[in-house]
Amino acid sequence: MTEVLAQRAYQAPATPEAIDELHTELDRIWEVASFVPELDQMAFTTAVIESASNVVQHGVAVPGGELRLAVTLTVMASVLQARISEIGAVPSPEMPSGSLPDDDEESGRGLALIEALMTTITVELRGETKTWVLSREIETPA
Amino acid sequence: MRFSTEQKDSYTEVSGTGRLNMVAAPKLREVVGEVVSAGNKRIVLNMLATDFIDSSGLGALIGCLKMARQAGGDLRIACVQPQVKMVLELTSMNRVLTPHATAEGAFSND
Repeated sequence: MTEVLAQRAYQAPATPEAIDELHTELDRIWEVASFVPELDQMAFTTAVIESASNVVQHGVAVPGGELRLAVTLTVMASVLQARISEIGAVPSPEMPSGSLPDDDEESGRGLALIEALMTTITVELRGETKTWVLSREIETPA
Repeated sequence: MRFSTEQKDSYTEVSGTGRLNMVAAPKLREVVGEVVSAGNKRIVLNMLATDFIDSSGLGALIGCLKMARQAGGDLRIACVQPQVKMVLELTSMNRVLTPHATAEGAFSND
């Protein structure tokens, strides 16, 4: 059940343009892994883009360095997994809030959305690299 | 993402084609800001060709809704696609931005 059926990797400077490019990578993986139900594709894509956008919006590069976004997408028979890394960032171990803000607030829904869409979320901190590992169990395994 | 604006009899229709993400969110605010500044207060965002939204896009929608309401009008959304519907429901924002089946029907009961 843990055999890798499709995998794609993406790395670029953490800019807004990277988010559109990453979305194209996600579209490409679904072309290969078309057996994944549409709901799971939609949920996974949404969570990965949310998490990567968080890196672009909130990651702070170490002085004199460049902040990079690195993403590995893996499709297994019953699990979808993404590793989203913030490379070259000032370490910030604190986690944002996962609760929904008031209706008229214009930000602060990203983590709540990721939590609602993923089965497990873990964060690994190694020096100047923070990695979010997002997993979603496929509802009807292939 | 591309936006187009069309003046209808009783509202202004803004259509967005593509992904409403952190790249497109500021553009939506700009487009709706121009519509409101021009004196159009009743706005329908036609999302038929908007195949993706994230929390940045959702934030822009809320900002646009506030702009329209502060001007004494309203912003409504129509023709939402499955991913947009999912995000609205998971964040409970469908209570504030209720999707309408058609753009023409969004203000029809007023």
